[in-house]
Amino acid sequence: MTTLELRQVNKHFGGLHVSKNITMGIEQGELTAIIGPNGAGKTTLFNEITGYITPDNGGIFFNGVEITGAEPESLVKMGIVRAFQVASLFIDETVYDNLCLAALAFHGKNWNIFTNRSVYKNVEEHCRFILERLGLSGKEGLKAFELSHGDQKVLDIAIALTMKPKLLLLDEPTAGMSPDERVKMTHLIRAIHEEFKLTTIFVEHDMDMVFGIADNIRVLVYGELIAEGNAEEIQKNPAVIEAYLGHEVL
Amino acid sequence: MNNKLTTMAPWLAYFLIFGSLIFVGGDHTIHIASQVIILGLFAIAFNVLFGTTGLLSFGQAIFYGLGAYITGMMAKSFGGDFFVWALLIAPAAAIVLSVLLGVLSLRLSDVYFTMLTLAFAQLAWGICVKWSSFTGGDDGIQAIPKPELLAGGLNYYIFSFVIVTACLYLLWRLDRSPFGSVLKGIRQNPTRISFIGMNVFRHKLLAYMISSCFTAIAGGLYAGIDKSIHPDMFVWTMSGSIILMTILGGMRSFFGPLIGVAVFILLEDEIGRATQYWSFVIGAIMITVVLLFPKGIVGISRHFARLFAKKGGQRDNP
Repeated sequence: MTTLELRQVNKHFGGLHVSKNITMGIEQGELTAIIGPNGAGKTTLFNEITGYITPDNGGIFFNGVEITGAEPESLVKMGIVRAFQVASLFIDETVYDNLCLAALAFHGKNWNIFTNRSVYKNVEEHCRFILERLGLSGKEGLKAFELSHGDQKVLDIAIALTMKPKLLLLDEPTAGMSPDERVKMTHLIRAIHEEFKLTTIFVEHDMDMVFGIADNIRVLVYGELIAEGNAEEIQKNPAVIEAYLGHEVL
Repeated sequence: MNNKLTTMAPWLAYFLIFGSLIFVGGDHTIHIASQVIILGLFAIAFNVLFGTTGLLSFGQAIFYGLGAYITGMMAKSFGGDFFVWALLIAPAAAIVLSVLLGVLSLRLSDVYFTMLTLAFAQLAWGICVKWSSFTGGDDGIQAIPKPELLAGGLNYYIFSFVIVTACLYLLWRLDRSPFGSVLKGIRQNPTRISFIGMNVFRHKLLAYMISSCFTAIAGGLYAGIDKSIHPDMFVWTMSGSIILMTILGGMRSFFGPLIGVAVFILLEDEIGRATQYWSFVIGAIMITVVLLFPKGIVGISRHFARLFAKKGGQRDNP
């Protein structure tokens, strides 16, 4: 079954054509990587799928329902959740409170004005589960700004997972990480993808990671989708070698 | 246990100070204390927008003035017994007005929101001054009648203390509620708030309605202190002094704004008796606090409490 479908999606920023007639389908349960040089329009594509910006024309469908131009908050409720290239956190709050806010939103408690937020046992359990699963236990009392860069990225993904996504979009999950942290993050993504039965799309520059874990790879160059296939197909694709690298190093 | 004590300590201090004044305060002290708790309610309600949500409204005086004028004019027209009922109508009117103004202004980004709130309040001030047949114009309204029970200064202080305390309790609950967490989240990262499925504008609007509602109650109560109100309650310096007092006390703590109001009014009273240049002294204090202690008086005391705690700890581990 196709979870996400893009039909002829176009987006211009002034004279720049950042999404050129993008058409693709992502199957349920797929772990897809989107690769491409800087400025290829990968983050723009994420922004279009998650409702941050609206495409000029074309259609985006989630489980057969058109979602083009929908607001981020309604897409989150449908199960389309993202993590960010630069970890997007509530920086003065503790790790626990970051997750707690997401869990309160997930359980629809955000309009409760006069109840103490600690009374919701299901919210607490939900947070504890995510903390433990993502290896953040023991750090729940730290303020978000006190975390290492790597842990901030993990917390960003933890917030996204708290929303129980069906489709998870990760924008450069290993950006700026040490080699050690990269390996951990790669394992984490594969593990949560399988455990939570997600459909996952991630943008990444680290080719070891992409070829290591992705079921399917899409290559975006100057806003155009030039190739898709598994690791082997992509590595041998002449268009990818030509346009993306200029020479064979993959 | 210890944690519970630290959360309850400010309440304990609040009841000790403002409660004991009922028994020991002279006329002048009670007059000052009435002003402190009423403006304190205004400042804490304002801080729901400012310190919590990160919205700098420069026009909360519009709701303060509205509350005062509704209460004052109704009591004047329908008699003193109506005073207490007017105190209920004022916040309801403020909620209606805040929805109108909020829908127009809350979608704008920081500085535009601030300027628009300022413009609305100045507009209200202009109307209040010019429409003198209805509002009494520059002279305001004097000799506002009150129920007999609330006639004396002390009785009115007790009445205000009860209402302010109830309001502060509700605002304190809000601060610790899920909704309060959302507001703090909006201050820190509104984008992420929408990407965990919440509508930023609607949460801001409710915060604005709540803040304005309690501000109108403060305005209504103020109409009873001196039994007189004047158009200056709408003017931008009114909104401005509330912002100053909030920063002075500490905008990141619930009771900070009340402390700021108390210090400000006490200084004004003490220094004002000694010199007519009291505003110069207060200005100098404000600059010092903002430059050296941006977290306000509460920040200063927390800083010293931490220093003290550290020294205590060192004694245990030489």
